[in-house]
Amino acid sequence: MTAVIEAEGLGKRYRRQWALSDCTLSVPAGHVVGLVGLNGAGKTTLLSLATGMLAPTTGTIKVLGVRPAAGPEQLAKVGYLAQDAPVYAGLSVADHLKLGARLNPGWDDQLARRRIDQLDLEPGRKAGKLSGGQRAQLALTLALGKRPELLILDEPVASLDPLARREFLQDLMETVAGRDAGRLRQPHRPAEHAAGPGRRPGPRPGLDGVRGRHGRPGARLHEASGRTQPPR
Amino acid sequence: MIWLTWRQFRAQAVTAVAALALFAILLAVTHPQLASLYATSGFAGCHGGGCGELADAFLGQLSNLTPFGGPQAFRLLPAGANLYVIVYTIGILFILIAPAITGVFWGAPLIARELETGTGRLTWNQSITRARWLTVKLALTGTAAIAVTEGFSLLQAWWAAPISRAIDVGGSVSVFSGSRFSPFTFATGGIAPLGHAAFGFALGVTAGLLIRRAVPAMALTVAIFVAVQVVMPLWIRPHLLPADQTTAAIASTHATFSDLSGAPALTASSLPGQPGAWILSSGPVDAAGRPVSTLPAACAQTAGSLPPASRITAGSQSDVLRCLTSHGIRESVSYQPAGHYWPLQLTETGIFLALALGLAGFCFWWLDRRRA
Repeated sequence: MTAVIEAEGLGKRYRRQWALSDCTLSVPAGHVVGLVGLNGAGKTTLLSLATGMLAPTTGTIKVLGVRPAAGPEQLAKVGYLAQDAPVYAGLSVADHLKLGARLNPGWDDQLARRRIDQLDLEPGRKAGKLSGGQRAQLALTLALGKRPELLILDEPVASLDPLARREFLQDLMETVAGRDAGRLRQPHRPAEHAAGPGRRPGPRPGLDGVRGRHGRPGARLHEASGRTQPPR
Repeated sequence: MIWLTWRQFRAQAVTAVAALALFAILLAVTHPQLASLYATSGFAGCHGGGCGELADAFLGQLSNLTPFGGPQAFRLLPAGANLYVIVYTIGILFILIAPAITGVFWGAPLIARELETGTGRLTWNQSITRARWLTVKLALTGTAAIAVTEGFSLLQAWWAAPISRAIDVGGSVSVFSGSRFSPFTFATGGIAPLGHAAFGFALGVTAGLLIRRAVPAMALTVAIFVAVQVVMPLWIRPHLLPADQTTAAIASTHATFSDLSGAPALTASSLPGQPGAWILSSGPVDAAGRPVSTLPAACAQTAGSLPPASRITAGSQSDVLRCLTSHGIRESVSYQPAGHYWPLQLTETGIFLALALGLAGFCFWWLDRRRA
């Protein structure tokens, strides 16, 4: 079985504080995997390292076999919905789709437009005027539109109310169902696992030491739902 | 990427084009009268000795004249203010501050805004490397920044060509003064604005990348840019090329004597046989070429009878100068000859372009290695 994310002795220090230390993990392909931990456990840091937004202080991390953000080919294979779902406030929804189309050779315009339609997002509306949930949906559409092999979501529903949260996750699961992509997701709360289809996962021991700041207990990887396809 | 850069930049681009267009209209409207004045001044085709007086007359006319045959058209101007003086000053001011403006409003937010709002994490996760993103951003926005400053500079050079020529041959009236080596004229003429614009922009981008917040980065950009613009003409520009040294008779340098700080000073204002030279420093030397630190007793008496410096009359000035000359004292002058203008322009522009490239290279390294 191939691993989509492989970290070895990974650590990140901000000035004098370690946000993440000695993290060794392996995320297999074809799974939806949740990353659970207390605030400050280093979840976002780990995801930022996995997308190449940060460079590790110690250790190595490989995503789909190579260094994160190593080149355009590698970037094209990884979709990332960053924390707080950043979008350009001054650009319209349509502008964002155009941005996705211009910057991604594998862009699936049909998929993106269909999602925007279904979600009732007006193409002419400025992203800054969207609600928190709509912004998250727009950012997710960008991450999905590039047809990534690996989709990484960092607290995608943190800013949503419980109802919108449920709808968002339902929609996410429907969209990714049937696609063979490893997904690493950082749920806001463990309760969100219930939103995924299939069985509720039991917590598994952390694959390896993930030690957070302030001596807090480390983050844990959970398998959030069943495999979407049998592993190859 | 080019599309995204343009989409994010177009509002600023429109503003810049509008500012350039307004300036061009102002110059185009005032140019015909300036040109006809120049044509009728008799100074246009002048060569040789009497040109200085003609140039002064032309500049004097220009600074006293109300355009379009009367003050009615320009009631907005305060009494006594002249349109040509104002347009000339505005032009120089625009060229001076354009590199700072583009550095602050285009350069500083370029990366800082992406970091501040988190949108960098959106764009840098499309199928495009940060190096490529930065290349396109720097190339397009940077070129625009340079083009704006150069646009102001070229318009001003075209409009003020008669004025520059009059100043070159020795004319000097109100703001139409100062050789092309004077700090503001040098910085706004030739190719120097190119270098300043490139540097100001790269400085802003770098400050934004390091501070990661647009507004503090803007403030720092202004502070550093102004400091550099003060340091450059005062301490660096005079030494970019080795200065020439000469000793001449006091009278031939049109020197002025002063004795304010206890040490006698002779300030030369021109050099025989070196029209348009940039005089860096000057002072009295004795027949052996040694600097004179105390006045000869006889001259000290004459000087002592002088009224306070501010009220030195032409008569008493020439008494002192004649006395100094009779004691074998000459004027030593350190200067950049007029022929050094373009080499100095090239050197200064080269320095600023190199600084800009260095800063840009640093941005690439920082964005790639340190990660955002």
